Amino acid sequence: MTAPTEPHPKPGPRKTRKTRKTSMVKALNGALDLAMERFPEMFLIGESIGELGGDFGVTRRLWAKYGADRVRDTPLSEAAIIGTSVGAAMVGMRPVAEIMFADFLGECYDQIVNNAAKLHYMFDGQFSAPLVIRTACGAGFGGGPHHSQSVEGWFMNIPGIVIVAPSNPADAKGLLLAAIESDDPVLFLEHKALYRSRAEVDPGYYTVPLGRAAVAREGTDVTVVGTMRMVPMALEAAAVLAGEGISVEVVDLRTIRPYDAETVVESVNRTGRAVVVNEAPGTGGLGAELSARIHEECFHRLSGPVGRVDALDTPIPFSVPLENAIMPNPAIIADAVRRQMGRS
Amino acid sequence: MDIGRQLDLYRDMWTIRAFEQGLEREFEAGNVPGMLHTGLGQEATQAALAAHLEATDCFFPDHRCHGLNALAQQRHGGDGRSIMAELFGRATGVCSGKGGSLHSADPSVGNFGDNAVEGSYMATVLGVALAYKLRRQDRVACAVIGDGTVGRGEFHESLNMAAIWDLPVLYACLNNGYAISLPAAQGLASADIVDLARGYGFPCVQVDGNDIVEATEAVATAFDHIRSGRGPYFIEFITWRWQGVFSGEFRSDEEVKYWKVDHDPILMAAEKLLRLDVPEDRLHAIESAERERIEEWIRFAKDSPEPDLAKATADVYIGWEVAGR
Ligand SMILES: Cc1ncc(C[n+]2csc(CCOP(=O)(O)OP(=O)(O)O)c2C)c(N)n1
Ligand SMILES: [Mg+2]
Repeated sequence: MTAPTEPHPKPGPRKTRKTRKTSMVKALNGALDLAMERFPEMFLIGESIGELGGDFGVTRRLWAKYGADRVRDTPLSEAAIIGTSVGAAMVGMRPVAEIMFADFLGECYDQIVNNAAKLHYMFDGQFSAPLVIRTACGAGFGGGPHHSQSVEGWFMNIPGIVIVAPSNPADAKGLLLAAIESDDPVLFLEHKALYRSRAEVDPGYYTVPLGRAAVAREGTDVTVVGTMRMVPMALEAAAVLAGEGISVEVVDLRTIRPYDAETVVESVNRTGRAVVVNEAPGTGGLGAELSARIHEECFHRLSGPVGRVDALDTPIPFSVPLENAIMPNPAIIADAVRRQMGRS
Repeated sequence: MDIGRQLDLYRDMWTIRAFEQGLEREFEAGNVPGMLHTGLGQEATQAALAAHLEATDCFFPDHRCHGLNALAQQRHGGDGRSIMAELFGRATGVCSGKGGSLHSADPSVGNFGDNAVEGSYMATVLGVALAYKLRRQDRVACAVIGDGTVGRGEFHESLNMAAIWDLPVLYACLNNGYAISLPAAQGLASADIVDLARGYGFPCVQVDGNDIVEATEAVATAFDHIRSGRGPYFIEFITWRWQGVFSGEFRSDEEVKYWKVDHDPILMAAEKLLRLDVPEDRLHAIESAERERIEEWIRFAKDSPEPDLAKATADVYIGWEVAGR
């Protein structure tokens, strides 16, 4: 697929109206509220998203404001939740579905993969599926094997689906609004460990473009690429490494499919070194894809092989020390960067 | 039912039979790629549905519904040649050859497309029906399903959700006795599927799907019920498919004879019409006219160009282009 051609926005003070520190949950809630106001054809659907406001509170107060027709509680019927969303999208509505935990996407995998992702293509453009599937993913709280997974790899091999994965509240809001505006089906990954992270968030309506990475920190020695929780971890590692005289550039992919290879390649061609960080197991996932792409496109500019930091190739154990033992962390990322610099 | 209407339905059944027989011949000659499932033997149920579905309604056809797809086009101002061409994978097909037999859609006549993952649209139909309901449109969203799909979780998710939300869904379940080779009596807790559906609390009926009058009247009643805002409706059509399995016939000679001769929907309808003093010539003329029409569609399909190769990478996304080689 073609990479985006415009240059990504450089970091710097975003032009905002009134700003205040907002959690990712609140930022997402604000995005849904603004979109529900703006798009009468939009509705929310999921398990206990109504009066309760969802397991994590992302839809809080929307049921009271918009009513049960537009904020729809469902039984434990994930295939029907996504099927309903796809069918409604086929006739011009804009559903935003919540699958409580990403681990349950298997229950509606067929609707996403064989239906939402393919119908525009296989029916020759006669139908489209402008739906958003929000879901809570990721580890970091002892959720165990069925409440902690990073699922992007399950979907990366599926043409037709867009996968969005924000790392901070401001991006989360703008990306969610862009996802709702998008005419393509979007899988919107919300990392549970980031839900309570806080940042300044513009209270107004704005979008962050899909398919575009952001440079979360500029640097000159090594490029670290990651998404979601791996971005704050990489930033933490970068801060430590700065004290050792190593300048790390952190690229936050933000959209995983179709992803912004141009920004990644440009950065690595500049620094000549790359570390790819990924919370999922390393085999066959995002880390593997990025590593392969960088090797293909930056080979002659690289000082050595791309470094990789992934979760270990295991399911996710319940015990927190065991979970920590299989997960990446800032120290492991920093070590991988030092190895790139020949300083291990 | 008056004779004129019965004759129309008789003609529609012949459209389906001629379509499928012509297609089967071309498939065997190697002119049709992929797999072929025909609606032979199930013409009455499909004709009954086609007679009631408006272009503003929605139906999800199953893998044996080529005839229904063609009839929908005919009834709503076109003809079925782009359905035929799609089966040949041609540029003039209803999906430019990208869908084929198992993924033919034509929203302009309410055809929302088959899904080769059998029965998956039992979930999708809910969303179309929900949109109709929220917009206060008196429309019907119909899922045509086989007995085999009753084994899927989506069957139960769908009937449950249609019931709790009172959605305008018609489940048209074609019980032809088998899923591939598995008898319904062996694969389902009740071989009378209607009894499984009844637990969800909306009207469920079982009819002779090979009796065109009975089938049509059942569909009419269901449409009245749904259009008047009274929620979902389930019809189990008892029928039988001529096609065995890919490797051949697996059913007893006796069973085959019963369904193909004694209880064939077209022969049954013809007998009824003859008893009403419709001349035999008239019935023959209907058959020949339909066979001719279908041959013309087949010629059209075969004369049509293959799709432009640029189609291979078109329409993957709306917001992005996918690169070619
Ligand atoms: C989900 C799924 N499982 C299996 C198949 C393979 N398959 C194709 S047709 C079929 C039988 C379907 O039986 P039924 O619904 O009774 O339809 P019939 O062919 O008898 O008309 C099966 C198992 C499929 N296409 N989709
Ligand atoms: Mg069957």
